[in-house]
Amino acid sequence: MSHSPDVELRLPAESAYVAVLRMTTAGLAARLDFTLDDIEDLRMAVGEACALVLEHADPGGDLHAWFDLSDGSIRVAVAADSSSDANPDEGSFGWQVLTALTSDVVSRREGQLHWVSFTVRSSIAA
Amino acid sequence: MPGPEPDLTPDPAPELAHALELENAPQIGTVTDTGPREGRSHRRAPLTARQLSTRELSHSLFTELTDPETPDARRSSCREELVRLHLPLVDHCARRFMNRGEPLDDLVQVGTIGLIKSVDRFDNERGVEFSTYATPTILGEIKRYFRDKGWAIRVPRRLQELRMSISAVTGDMSQDLGRSPTPREIAERLGVSVEEVMEGIESANAYSTLSLDAGDSGEDGQGNSMLDSLGMDDEALAHVEIRESLKPLIDQLPSREKRILMLRFFRGMTQSQIAEEIGVSQMHVSRLLNRTLAQLRTSLTEVG
Repeated sequence: MSHSPDVELRLPAESAYVAVLRMTTAGLAARLDFTLDDIEDLRMAVGEACALVLEHADPGGDLHAWFDLSDGSIRVAVAADSSSDANPDEGSFGWQVLTALTSDVVSRREGQLHWVSFTVRSSIAA
Repeated sequence: MPGPEPDLTPDPAPELAHALELENAPQIGTVTDTGPREGRSHRRAPLTARQLSTRELSHSLFTELTDPETPDARRSSCREELVRLHLPLVDHCARRFMNRGEPLDDLVQVGTIGLIKSVDRFDNERGVEFSTYATPTILGEIKRYFRDKGWAIRVPRRLQELRMSISAVTGDMSQDLGRSPTPREIAERLGVSVEEVMEGIESANAYSTLSLDAGDSGEDGQGNSMLDSLGMDDEALAHVEIRESLKPLIDQLPSREKRILMLRFFRGMTQSQIAEEIGVSQMHVSRLLNRTLAQLRTSLTEVG
């Protein structure tokens, strides 16, 4: 990402740590006064995005997460080191869930990093 | 969120009647009364043959099991047979707890442990039916499973209670606000901090948490993702149309060509096998097949 994000987190690229990331995301969203439903959507979206990037992640690599916090909306990007050039299957169920729950879903590759990002807006601010 | 506290105060006797009925239903059209006195029904009007045999078999097996003269090998096979005989009872008990967040197979498994325990503890001299005795034990074992294993992660009582008050307040507040409340609003209502509310919500997810795409890394290590259990469009669905359009075309084929086609693609025979069956050379079969297929393809595209 070109500018500096508000919150950055690095975890081992293992599905066991996705729960930690989900919890962190929920905590951040609570600070932004998201409703419980929004938080639940966000949590699910993070889980699916992680599943998408972890599918092609190198074993022993890192899982990166960036959070861009603004009033009433949060942009999340998750990335994992991946030497395979496979892109997330946009027909997959996980991708469908992600696009249904969030907006501006982008999947991109930057060098070794393969990342998926999306935005969730608070239903109150809207 | 499935309630980990199933409500259970069953009267064992109707359970028994029910289980026996389930077992008997396919063979016997008329099944006797299902009243709560089923346990003593041997005093009543004639029983169906199958019911009698289950009961009598169970009884005689227990007599043999408790007889000190019975050799050990025979005793263990009696025990096994008794357990097997009453498995439908376990299944019936386990089904009552379906859709409460635990797989039925697991419930059947713990229920079976309860059944084995009751076979070992049953006293044949008391004059009660075995199923009457076993049902509470089986149900008890299943209930205990819910109590001990209900939560994927053991959550402190304080958090379980917090979670309950959060979900109660969330319902009320959603009504009042016309949208779901924010953690801050809940915190204000409950008089706790936002962090505690988040903790309480997080604990609710401890019952079970999995992404749909996440692999199953459980002890059985089958590596199935939850996604595998979801339904999808049948792949063969696309072929339906083709098959339907092919049908009339195949019907128009000369009988020999049609026969070859059937043998090749429906019976899965090789060309040489077909050649033998029909009495021509394999080369000829190959030529005929090619010609027929080309013909079908052309007529199909013409129609399309």
